[in-house]
Amino acid sequence: MASTTRPTLLPGDEIPSSLIPSHPTKPLRLGPGLRHLPPSQILPTVSGQLITLPQKSSMWIEYNSSRYIPTQSDLVIGTILRSGPDFYYVLLSPFTPPATLPHLAFEGATKKTRPQLNPGSLVYARVTLANKHMDPEVECVSATTGKADGLGPLTNGGMVFDVSLGFARRLLMAKSKEEGKIEVLELLGGEEGKLSFETAVGRNGKVWIGSEDIKTVVIVGRALKETDEKKLGVEAQRKLVRKLIKEMK
Amino acid sequence: MPLDTSTYSLALLRVDGRRWNELRRLHAQIRTQAAADGSSYLEMGHTKVMCVVTGPSEPGPRRGGGIGGGAGGQSKDAEVVVNIVIAGFSSVDRKRRGRGDKRTQEMQSTVANALAASLHTHLFPHSQINVSLHVLSQDGSLLAALINAATLACVDAGIPMTDYVAACTAGSTSTYAANDESADPLLDLNHQEEQELPSLTVATLGDSDRVVVLVCESRVQISRLEGMLAVGVDGCKQVRELLDRVVREKGQRMILEGTVEKGTGLNDLD
Amino acid sequence: MPREAEPSLNEKQFVIQALQENLRLDGRELEQYRPLELTLGDQYGVADATLGKTRVLAKASAELTVPYTDRPLDGIFTIATELSPMTSPAFELNRPTETEVLLSRLLEKTVRRSNALDTESLCLIAGQKCWSVRVDVHVLSHDGNLIDAACFAVVSALRHFKKPDTSMEGGVLTVYTAAEREPVPLSWLHSPFCVTWSFYGEQGEIAVLDATWLEEQVRVGSCTISLNRHGEICQISKLGGTPVEAVALLQCSAVSLTKVKEFSTYLDEKLAEDAKRRNKGGLLAELSAENDR
Repeated sequence: MASTTRPTLLPGDEIPSSLIPSHPTKPLRLGPGLRHLPPSQILPTVSGQLITLPQKSSMWIEYNSSRYIPTQSDLVIGTILRSGPDFYYVLLSPFTPPATLPHLAFEGATKKTRPQLNPGSLVYARVTLANKHMDPEVECVSATTGKADGLGPLTNGGMVFDVSLGFARRLLMAKSKEEGKIEVLELLGGEEGKLSFETAVGRNGKVWIGSEDIKTVVIVGRALKETDEKKLGVEAQRKLVRKLIKEMK
Repeated sequence: MPLDTSTYSLALLRVDGRRWNELRRLHAQIRTQAAADGSSYLEMGHTKVMCVVTGPSEPGPRRGGGIGGGAGGQSKDAEVVVNIVIAGFSSVDRKRRGRGDKRTQEMQSTVANALAASLHTHLFPHSQINVSLHVLSQDGSLLAALINAATLACVDAGIPMTDYVAACTAGSTSTYAANDESADPLLDLNHQEEQELPSLTVATLGDSDRVVVLVCESRVQISRLEGMLAVGVDGCKQVRELLDRVVREKGQRMILEGTVEKGTGLNDLD
Repeated sequence: MPREAEPSLNEKQFVIQALQENLRLDGRELEQYRPLELTLGDQYGVADATLGKTRVLAKASAELTVPYTDRPLDGIFTIATELSPMTSPAFELNRPTETEVLLSRLLEKTVRRSNALDTESLCLIAGQKCWSVRVDVHVLSHDGNLIDAACFAVVSALRHFKKPDTSMEGGVLTVYTAAEREPVPLSWLHSPFCVTWSFYGEQGEIAVLDATWLEEQVRVGSCTISLNRHGEICQISKLGGTPVEAVALLQCSAVSLTKVKEFSTYLDEKLAEDAKRRNKGGLLAELSAENDR
């Protein structure tokens, strides 16, 4: 993402027109946090940093909120509350109405061979429908290709940790090291830690970590939580990883 | 200073003539009410308690209004609900207790958790076991009597359990301030002793040394605790023997009277 | 009425497995408390105790009132606890849950019934006027181990609190405001603290101190021991749950004594710090109307 300035805006602030990308052919696409008031006003609705992508002609606001609001094609980790006649009811955030997950929305599932999930199991799913008038819906299989792509129940043990929403977003970025400034996971798995584990990050502020060794999961979990709570930079993350590895020896 | 201890040091006898390690008269009956699933009546000295058990049965109206029926699925065990009514005439001064009394609620919670530790609640998912206790007369060791009565009633109701939960009280002749090494632990305190001396109620699971309930509401030196606890656990073992005897005698009598079918393997008891 | 969010099966299993390997999620030892912080307010009698993410605020206040008819020589002392939706949407006002009843009973037994506060000293005119001291406990955030944090906050608030000075002259009672005479502290006999143990495992063999909310959801039994630093037990409650060996309970009580001594020293330090902060120039000793004993 190449952009010169990334101002921090409050809701209702004026966006300097120099920052609005103007592409000759592509129409301007607005991402989360921005609202278009016809005919030509663009206003931020949340407080955060304005990010613009001139090549793709899109702009959005990076913000950190406490409550997860489901948005389409987000990857989330949910807990199964109960099973209805056709759907599972999945809880994405505590004390919210549950999302529905159709029984057949798994890879290779038919009426006879669908996976049996008990209340309390975790699933990694994608949000298919999310608007403010209806309960959200999720799925565990890609509707177009029919493949799971890593979605589905998270069954082999592990532990799920709560992180802030902004941190989860940074973890999910394609280049989380450069852009998101999160190196912890690489350090733990690389030369510093040499730990082997797998992770699943949910945009609703949950990170699942699985490994054969319980100690590994505990270390990785602690590393993530401390990086998140204390907002550590890359150098500090390195120090934290070294400290944790030494403690656990 | 307590009346108790002054005579105690002279003859080592308590006010009611017992020695330090003697239980009061424990008298119990089961199946006192034919209409209920399980019932019992227990007397520990002058503390008289009646208990009725209904269950396992359909769960009652959901407390807290959960979202949908299956949402309670995470706790797949039967729920033990205890209700205690302490009659106004049970103590020396007539005292009418309201339903929302916190001390009663705490005892209800204690008895429920104590039973849940022993009953095989996993065999009856999504159901409720109702235990109703009525206190007719109080003379010390109230919580112990309640736990014992509830255990007997559950045995009568035929609910599978690991072992009897037997309870009794223990105390110490020293007050909290005195650091005297010669203080003796006492078993099974009555009302007067409970008011004046430090005491604790302990419940164990059957014959083992494993403590299910331990409640101490008076100030006591930490060094006294070991002695009181040891005496209490010992007393619980004696109580368990007595409870077991009650159940077996009743069972034999019921077979003799023909109320219960003789098993094919039993010898003729006529 | 939303229900309490229950942790998922993965989380529950993981916590139990980790405890069997002596590991806790935040890297603590099994018998290690989270860092305890105490903030004393500007006003006398306000104490804010934090144990990790659990935060409890206690406020002590006093007013003049008529004593109970059956106890004309004692003052009145009450502790009021309220778990409000501020802690979690699962709690409702005026609808006491089991947690709240147990918390309130434990605080009663620990602080009130053990005579930590001398109620006779609260009496001003026998049968007519006495002080009514009231401590309000507000739970601001719940991440496990409310009991220990609440007890610590209550004891701190009461020890920090100062009631207005009074004097009796020929049957006339005069109550001085803070501007006229420096308020006097309460007559405090001993400081009890609560230590809560949680048990895990088939036989309840793993004993853990200061459980977080998640650890509390998976525990099979718990026992709260209250004592003061002189080794006097004020109360013990193990209300059911998986049976635990009697010997293990005795060991727990011995460790509790060490923890209570730590709490006690911490509280004394904090109170001394606060007193020094207010006492600029050493004038406080001159203002105090207390007689030397």
